[in-house]
Amino acid sequence: MTNASEVLSSIQSAFPGAVLDSRVESDRRLWATIDSKKILDVCKHLTTKLNFDHYSGSAGVDWIARKEMEVVEIMASHGAHQVVAMLKVKTPRENPSVKSLTGLYWNANWYEREIWEMFGINFEGHPELYPLLLSDELMGAWPWRKDYKGYPDLTTGERAVKISTPEGYTEYHIPPTPAEVEAGTVVTVRLKYPTLREREEKEIKSDSEMIMHLGPQHAMVPGPFLLDVLVEGERVHKAFLDLGYIHKGIEKIMENRSWLQGITYTDRMCYVASLSNNECYCGAIEKILGLEVPLRAQYIRVILEELSRIQSHLIGTGEFLTLIAGVGYAPWQYMIIDRENIISLIESVTGARLTHTFVRFGGVRNDLPAGFADQCKKVLPYMKSRTEEFIELFAQDPIYHKRMDGVGIIRPDDAKRMGVSGPPLRAAGVAYDMRKEDPILVYPELDFKVVTGTKGDSADRIDVRLREMLESIHIIEQCLDRIPEGPIKTEVKVPKKVPAGEAYYRVEDPRGEMGMYVISDGGDKPYRVKVRGPFYATFQTLTPLLEGTYIADAVAIAGSMDGCPSEADR
Amino acid sequence: MDIIGSISQFAAQEPAIFALIIGVIGAAVIAAVVNVGAMLVIWGERKVLSDFCNRFGPNRVGGRWGILQLGADAIKLFTKEDIIPADADKGVYVWAPIVASMGTMLVAAAIPFGALHIGGKDYPLVVANMDISAFYVEAALSIMAIAVFMAGYSSNNKYSMLGAFRGVARMIAYEVPMGVCVISVAVMAHSLNLVEIVQSQTVWYAFAQPLGFVIFVIALITDLGRIPFDQSEAEEEIISGYNTEYSGIRWGLLYFQEYNNALLGSILLSLLFLGGWQGPIIPIPVLDIISPLIWLLMKVIIVLWFFIWVRSSLFRLRIDQVTDLGWKWMLPLSLVNLGWAVLVGSYFA
Repeated sequence: MTNASEVLSSIQSAFPGAVLDSRVESDRRLWATIDSKKILDVCKHLTTKLNFDHYSGSAGVDWIARKEMEVVEIMASHGAHQVVAMLKVKTPRENPSVKSLTGLYWNANWYEREIWEMFGINFEGHPELYPLLLSDELMGAWPWRKDYKGYPDLTTGERAVKISTPEGYTEYHIPPTPAEVEAGTVVTVRLKYPTLREREEKEIKSDSEMIMHLGPQHAMVPGPFLLDVLVEGERVHKAFLDLGYIHKGIEKIMENRSWLQGITYTDRMCYVASLSNNECYCGAIEKILGLEVPLRAQYIRVILEELSRIQSHLIGTGEFLTLIAGVGYAPWQYMIIDRENIISLIESVTGARLTHTFVRFGGVRNDLPAGFADQCKKVLPYMKSRTEEFIELFAQDPIYHKRMDGVGIIRPDDAKRMGVSGPPLRAAGVAYDMRKEDPILVYPELDFKVVTGTKGDSADRIDVRLREMLESIHIIEQCLDRIPEGPIKTEVKVPKKVPAGEAYYRVEDPRGEMGMYVISDGGDKPYRVKVRGPFYATFQTLTPLLEGTYIADAVAIAGSMDGCPSEADR
Repeated sequence: MDIIGSISQFAAQEPAIFALIIGVIGAAVIAAVVNVGAMLVIWGERKVLSDFCNRFGPNRVGGRWGILQLGADAIKLFTKEDIIPADADKGVYVWAPIVASMGTMLVAAAIPFGALHIGGKDYPLVVANMDISAFYVEAALSIMAIAVFMAGYSSNNKYSMLGAFRGVARMIAYEVPMGVCVISVAVMAHSLNLVEIVQSQTVWYAFAQPLGFVIFVIALITDLGRIPFDQSEAEEEIISGYNTEYSGIRWGLLYFQEYNNALLGSILLSLLFLGGWQGPIIPIPVLDIISPLIWLLMKVIIVLWFFIWVRSSLFRLRIDQVTDLGWKWMLPLSLVNLGWAVLVGSYFA
């Protein structure tokens, strides 16, 4: 088994002088600052020689005091070993520019676009450096830099100016005040890049093709995002994605809130998976603080996160079914009714149905209520029989198989290359689950299987989710048997100011690998929180998957990913 | 009786005037019956579908059964703003819902709504008792396809256009096997008249030609545009398809016609294959007169219930799979059924 120090020495021997600074945190985490000229070679070396075949994302950091910016490339492996390498590349704050990794990793595209639009770091060799999350008005303001002063105040409509467009529409524009122009918060010089519409229209080759919008307001989308398809009749020739319709800037907001307040924001990233998001954020900070979580709290966390996984899978599958069967489809309602049982269980502990804010640094907020285990033992066998029923129902339905088999196939190699995560990845046959790869809490002691599919099509993705629910039920049953008595919070007093440091923490969200990269500069607020969302990673693969399918299949593929644009946009 | 005697005397003396009076009264009655019936079908669908889905359905307006929900919906639709898109083909756009309702009224004119059992004899309740009524009804049912195309094409909307194309492709693929099934029934009944078809069913044609029955049911669901064959609407793909741009009362008309057609289609199915109004006469004074009506109503309700059951439990097929099924399976099989009908029919003739 490869460990972090072996990886470090391998890089150092292959490229002498490339590693400017390094820290081996544990066997599984390697932090290294790489010479910006050598980053491509180092990444290539990692991928080809050391099995780092999982480009997990990248984060931008603005070190305003040091007058430099940093891009952190997060590299991991799909099961060959468990090392996560955090490679930092430094660049001066004036005209920041680093080399793009899109040539090596297909999925680096979106991560680099996001860093570009938020921090203004240019990526040399990036093929399509267009805005992804931001609206056009904000482009060039680089809002996530530390010296960003905020957007002009648009809350009062007093300054609105009425404008008639050439097409005959009326629009209202709000010109900035001179003070705002002086403060530099208004972009006066527009960047030159083709708009989404121009890029789409360039692809139209004949008169019989047209662009059709599936979103941002469409019955198919689970939240607002724009999926444009270039269709000829019923055939989809090309697909375009545009995000940012619910971009809330959560990462930036968390920089301005205390450490504890940050937990509430993780809830809002994806409200059907808020417990995993809590866990991810708190876990990262526990790592910086070096806190030990009491055993009982660990069990409580595992129980709740698995319950939350079950309810997330239920609503994900149910919503998807309405996409190919219409809202009158009865099993969708059954799933929602069953989900109520699970939600009530979680509610009895956390007091909230969706946004729990339950996990705390070094423990949980409160203990399990009396009779929780009995209630669980009533609900879980019922859920188990229902889930088995659903699995059987879909296995037997001929129309279901006609619609779903062979639709949106992701092959294992492609899945790894494109960085798909969660059930879609496992449906492709890659057994990659954070609960096994990067185990946290008491997961190593529990017995469960990583559910995988064989074909990687839409039917498999649904099947994997349903069978994962059975595994979750099995996990919860074990936890209920083993959970010890004891404290639910750490004895150590959690300080208000977190000592300087950084951590990268990964959990298995219902939608896949969720990672949070938290930096502390010793203050009472995070210096930077980077969320590596699972659906953001899966989202990217939609565009190539939809090419050449039918419109109806496009809906079946997009729906089977169990999307959460809220978490992708953050 | 005296009244019946004088009426028949008048009919013999002035046949043209008698036909006119009957026509006007009949038109008024069927318009009322069909539309009220369709409203009940909508309400019934919402209640039954809710039952399948383990929820309540309409339960506020008009008591716990929500019986006045449709009245409330209708008031809402009537008072809504009538929006016509700026780029729409206005004439066609406006006329599409009207063509749709004309189609259903044409069907209703020739379809027998049952019979009255008076003095040991069945008097069928039909306005236009024409010789080819079976074929006429089946043809008039597909006027809806024209209306769907008019609505979808004139809206000048991408979703609507796709919905219209889908609707027409589907309709063509299923009209043919449906027609062949009607012919098979006519071959066995030795008549194209719906009344005579009903009267000739000593054995229900659902049992005499089971293959034809199955094909006809599937083709009928397709014709009505219900799940699993609602590709022309497909809310999750093309946002209600052909009626995306419609709002207010025009949308209400289009929506209403779907349920009118569902009602008329299930009556047609009962007449052709399920023995129509035939059944044992209930030996109670008043009930014996309307007992054929009761039997037909029961059959229609069962057929409609079956349609709702299908809706709550099946997935929607893709449009290419639908046409595939229509041309490659339904059409050849319906021809096989026609051969069967010819063989059996000539044997018993």
